[in-house]
Amino acid sequence: MNIQGKAKEQMTYDAIVVGSGISGGWAAKELCEKGLKVLMLERGRDIKHITGYETAGKNPWDFPHRGKVDNMAREEYWANVRTGYTANEEHRHHFENDKAHPYLEKRSFDWIRGYHVGGRSLMWGRQSYRWNEKDFTANIEDGHGIDWPIRYKDLAPWYSYVETFIGVSGYKEGLDVLPDGNFQPGMEMNCVEKEVRNSVQKKFNGRHVTIGRTAHITAPTQIQTELGRVSCQYQNACMRGCQFGAYFSTQSATLPAANKTGNLTLMADKIVYQVIFDDEKGKAVGVKTIDQNTNEQMDFYSKIIFLNASAINSAWIMMQSKSKTHPNGLGNESDQLGRNIMDHHLAVGASGTFEGMEDMYYYGRRANGVYIPRFTNWGSDKRKDFVRGFGYQGGASREGWGRGNYKEGFGADFKESITTPGQWTFGIGGFGETLPDENNRFTLSADKDKWGLPIVQFDAAWGDNAIKMREAMQNEAAEMLEAAGLKNINSYNDMSKNPGIGIHEMGTARMGRDKKTSVLNANNQVWGASNVFVTDGAAMVSASCVNPSLTYMALTARAADFAVKELKKMNI
Amino acid sequence: MNRRDAMQRVAFLMGGALSAPTMIAMLEGCKSNTATEAATSGFSFSTDYKNLVSEIAEIIIPKTTTPGAKDAGVGPFIEMMLKDCYNETQQEHFKKGLDNLEETAKKDFGGKKFLELTPEQQTTLLKKFEQMAMAETKENEQPKKIVDNETGLVKDPKTAEPRENEKAKKVVPPVPFFKLMKELTLLGYFTSEAGAKNALAYVAIPGRYEGCVKMTPGQKVWAL
Repeated sequence: MNIQGKAKEQMTYDAIVVGSGISGGWAAKELCEKGLKVLMLERGRDIKHITGYETAGKNPWDFPHRGKVDNMAREEYWANVRTGYTANEEHRHHFENDKAHPYLEKRSFDWIRGYHVGGRSLMWGRQSYRWNEKDFTANIEDGHGIDWPIRYKDLAPWYSYVETFIGVSGYKEGLDVLPDGNFQPGMEMNCVEKEVRNSVQKKFNGRHVTIGRTAHITAPTQIQTELGRVSCQYQNACMRGCQFGAYFSTQSATLPAANKTGNLTLMADKIVYQVIFDDEKGKAVGVKTIDQNTNEQMDFYSKIIFLNASAINSAWIMMQSKSKTHPNGLGNESDQLGRNIMDHHLAVGASGTFEGMEDMYYYGRRANGVYIPRFTNWGSDKRKDFVRGFGYQGGASREGWGRGNYKEGFGADFKESITTPGQWTFGIGGFGETLPDENNRFTLSADKDKWGLPIVQFDAAWGDNAIKMREAMQNEAAEMLEAAGLKNINSYNDMSKNPGIGIHEMGTARMGRDKKTSVLNANNQVWGASNVFVTDGAAMVSASCVNPSLTYMALTARAADFAVKELKKMNI
Repeated sequence: MNRRDAMQRVAFLMGGALSAPTMIAMLEGCKSNTATEAATSGFSFSTDYKNLVSEIAEIIIPKTTTPGAKDAGVGPFIEMMLKDCYNETQQEHFKKGLDNLEETAKKDFGGKKFLELTPEQQTTLLKKFEQMAMAETKENEQPKKIVDNETGLVKDPKTAEPRENEKAKKVVPPVPFFKLMKELTLLGYFTSEAGAKNALAYVAIPGRYEGCVKMTPGQKVWAL
């Protein structure tokens, strides 16, 4: 459809934000609050806050299969079943049907998507950690990948800005390795977690156990209350969507904030597949979309464009955005587009039983655990086998009725025995940093999806550094648990998981210091298309070992601020 | 403690936040490799077996001061789960288990059907089947064979390169009859309204979290 004159005017905005997930929501909020007329385009369906959460508040017996994956779902959600939880009956509808949205694997990759308003901000793990100073210098220090064009100090004020708005609960620990933020009161540890914290900190110099820093509000601010958000009610059914708006999501926070300005237009069902680049003007002028239901093609125009479609899909759009100026895809002079896919490797750790505290229990379902920050290759700790490090997430609980599956017996006494709280167990699982590697990539295959758009083909694997790191992740976990006095310690290292399992895809359009080695500059502008910004996981230059979403949000707020200033100066 | 056991204990740590039903699904997820077959299969029990399964479930979780498996509709639940969530191999393995139970009842107790036995005899027989299931589990937990789909060669999982596994699929043996019978009974009962609200402590919306609470006498396990 070729639109001219007045019609085109109606399709024109100050800014277009592609994607409505955790970073897209932030881009929309910031740009709207700065007075821009913003169009946010989402490829999936709309999900309304609260009323759109189909399974929120349901009881276990309301689910026919009590949460299990049935055979039909197992076939349709063929990638999701690999995670072991995203295809679950209670929240499967928030994840993508892989059969309807296929992808190809030269080497296996778990691509777990959420195509709907809110994206994966509706189902994210909510763990929110700042990167530390060394995370930004790691590449230049050990020679993997390229140097970050920014440092911790560039992002620190934006971390504070983001934390204040979203609400992060946690303890201030004063650690260089895990910088403190602007926290609401941290959730309480249970008795055994407190014991383990004390033992580990006493017996290991420089190791710490803190409560998970999580984007759940525990003492709402006025701004949060005005957005309709309420303190965490400890249901632990977050991935279904929260009726209380207690955890941060697009729906609970950035979308209502953007709507308040009157500057936002949100359109769902619009698949953006191309940025329109005007070779004469030397800049992008809009985007091409196709409606996921009607196949209707529409172009939209704007002065600036934020790509927040997720690491893979933002790069996928850029690959399809070829012009005379950008013959290899938008900003792809370096040929780095789609490369350097990073994730966090996991499914390695240890667990054990705790003797004692038999008269102690807990109340409420805390959707959070404890966190042990990185300690390897940090300070005086030097490892020969691998660079960088890992953190652990974990926690303690008392065994429930599930232990009956592994216990001999049946009948009245058996029933009675498994309905009383069992022994305390404590476990930790690692999240390890992966290194940027050009050979971990995706490309556009010749195959097309049902809209005639190219299907993504992955080609990625864990590197040697990660494989060696995992041995330490397993052994150190067991050692710490032993030192903490746990018994029956069992450690594991499950190598069967593919990259992508952490659902932290990063690096496919990395930032950098020059267009020969990177796709974006220090302000997330695309090289050669300075009015296009990419601020989702694609922008990441390295992976750290902490959960990345907080950093995406900080990068987005920073880039939006820069973009509007540049716009006012008529620089873009 | 096996790996699955260890995984169970840390499962909720992934992202810090998996709910109990999610953990159960994660660990006990259906093991079907041929979904289409099973999804369209017309699996069902005969009337005799419907009754038999309901009775066995009630023996595993009997009515006491709190409701039993029958009150919670566990029999029909097991049939539905086998139909919807398990592959044909597992469905057949389960049915064979029921056949075997009836045959053993006849053989051991003078030609009687399981439901005609005294409660003591039924318990004796199920204990025997529990032992058989444990032996079968132990057998299944021997290092699994990995069969390369292309060459058909059997590999030792200990030496197989992790990336090699992509081309190979593990031969997953079916869950032993009594083990699955018990697992589905516990799941069906404790996640039912009757079971969760009466035999366990069920609070839909806790409203707060307290990490260290002194237990009160008769404290039940949290349902979630």
